Amino acid sequence: MAEHAEHLSDPAPEPTGASADTARGPGRVLVALYAVFALAAGARAAVQLAVQFDEAPLAYLLSALAAVVYVVATVGLARGGRGGRRTAILACSVELVGVLVVGTLSLVDRAAFPDSTVWSGYGQGYGFIPLVLPVLGLMWLRHRSGVAAEQAADPGH
Amino acid sequence: MSTPLVVAATVVAVALAVLGVLSTVLRRRIGSAHLAAAGLLELLLVVQGVVATVELAGGHRPTELATFVAYLGSVVLLPVAGVLWARTEPTRWAGTVLGVAALTVAVMLWRLLDLWGVTGG
Repeated sequence: MAEHAEHLSDPAPEPTGASADTARGPGRVLVALYAVFALAAGARAAVQLAVQFDEAPLAYLLSALAAVVYVVATVGLARGGRGGRRTAILACSVELVGVLVVGTLSLVDRAAFPDSTVWSGYGQGYGFIPLVLPVLGLMWLRHRSGVAAEQAADPGH
Repeated sequence: MSTPLVVAATVVAVALAVLGVLSTVLRRRIGSAHLAAAGLLELLLVVQGVVATVELAGGHRPTELATFVAYLGSVVLLPVAGVLWARTEPTRWAGTVLGVAALTVAVMLWRLLDLWGVTGG
């Protein structure tokens, strides 16, 4: 139990090779959520594009874009490190802008979004998780970047 | 699809999610209670999967067959993936990871039931 006890303190120590800095502790919860959304959005987009693309091309293309963004964010968070964090920050930012823009558009122009996408109504159909997720993601990435910068400045840490 | 099974699995999934979040709040790792709940959930899902497969073979057609089959396959794998991933997480957050998987299962089950159509109940 003694070896487990030290792991319980937050923030978690830098990776020892087991898993990336951004995919440990609370980060692992984020990666799990992102993976679920990557799959959900991906499956939905695939069906929409394959079966009913003509009905609402814009909405379904945005659906596909959302799926891609979730996949990129998941991979970025799971890989961690400088590159992974940068990728994830970009993906989370696109996601935040996307959910705000699509959310607004879906309320203003319902005709263009007959079938709800992941981002319609600010993620209403998914418990608003699509709206909260990028914010949490960016906060977590900011925190991890801060820790990494501190450790770079003080290698003896 | 059997509605009582969906209800039972949902109850177990929500219980597992509560246990998971509780272990995070109490700063503990996941224990045998989590594994038992996840095992029970998995058992219910496998039974549900078999029931649905038999009914599909018997000619029942849900609204979106492709989506239904993809969901059915994923939902059975989720608790396993959740447990495997939570067990490699050495911090108290393992429970929440498992909770995310459990709640996803619950949501997907009701979506499956929705796709299945009321007549199949």
